[in-house]
Amino acid sequence: MRLIQTCGDRLVFHLEKREKQLLIEVLKLYPRLPPAHQPLSKSRCVPDPEASQNLLDEALAEQRQENKKQLVALLAAPYRFRETQAGCHLSLSASELEWLLQILNDIRVGSWVRLGSPEEKIGKLNERTAPDIWAMELAGFFQMELLEAVNPKP
Amino acid sequence: MAATAKPEILPDSVQAAEEKPKSGLEPGYLVVCWNDPVNYMDYVTHVFQTIFGWARQKAQFHMRQVHEQGKSVLTRESMEKAEHYVHQLQKYSLHATMERDE
Repeated sequence: MRLIQTCGDRLVFHLEKREKQLLIEVLKLYPRLPPAHQPLSKSRCVPDPEASQNLLDEALAEQRQENKKQLVALLAAPYRFRETQAGCHLSLSASELEWLLQILNDIRVGSWVRLGSPEEKIGKLNERTAPDIWAMELAGFFQMELLEAVNPKP
Repeated sequence: MAATAKPEILPDSVQAAEEKPKSGLEPGYLVVCWNDPVNYMDYVTHVFQTIFGWARQKAQFHMRQVHEQGKSVLTRESMEKAEHYVHQLQKYSLHATMERDE
């Protein structure tokens, strides 16, 4: 995956055929983070901690539902991936790219949570862990490619 | 990342330490980002830039604080604004919370 063109706020990426398949496969895993995954406050310092936590959880759950709808639409849109001889071109606006970063990181962090949130090295690669390690690494790969496009290294 | 890097003191963090909250509407809540081993450093920097509109250097300073010290106080706000920022940061799946500034 590499950035081949920027036009106004649109960015066009080239993807090999295999990369396109992998991107679609990993995106299908969204959402990966469990609901109500994070506390609003560690010290529960807000006036009504439970109500505030519920509001945050609901807002994030709604956001995820909306993201899922948008993701299904994105993957189904015929113009989104334009086939070429060597693969395809994926066109994203700056806001879509930002949104895709959130989606990919949900998959990455959610896969890590499913692996037991290991602090250091991820455990053994086996039948049980392989799908989550695969999703985590692949989501991270596409994340870094998108980040490189918006913040190129000098 | 070098463990010996000296944390620099940015002007707004000095200002934040001098302010005293007087009521619930005034800044009295800290938005804190906590370290985890899964979010990429470049990603965290990018999210800080996007949400707070910070220059890359300032975003990197806070990202390094998270990485090296386990957490970074990103801003000091009223309760409503702190909630807003925590929501934004959690949308990006960062480990962020709000804490009372005692």
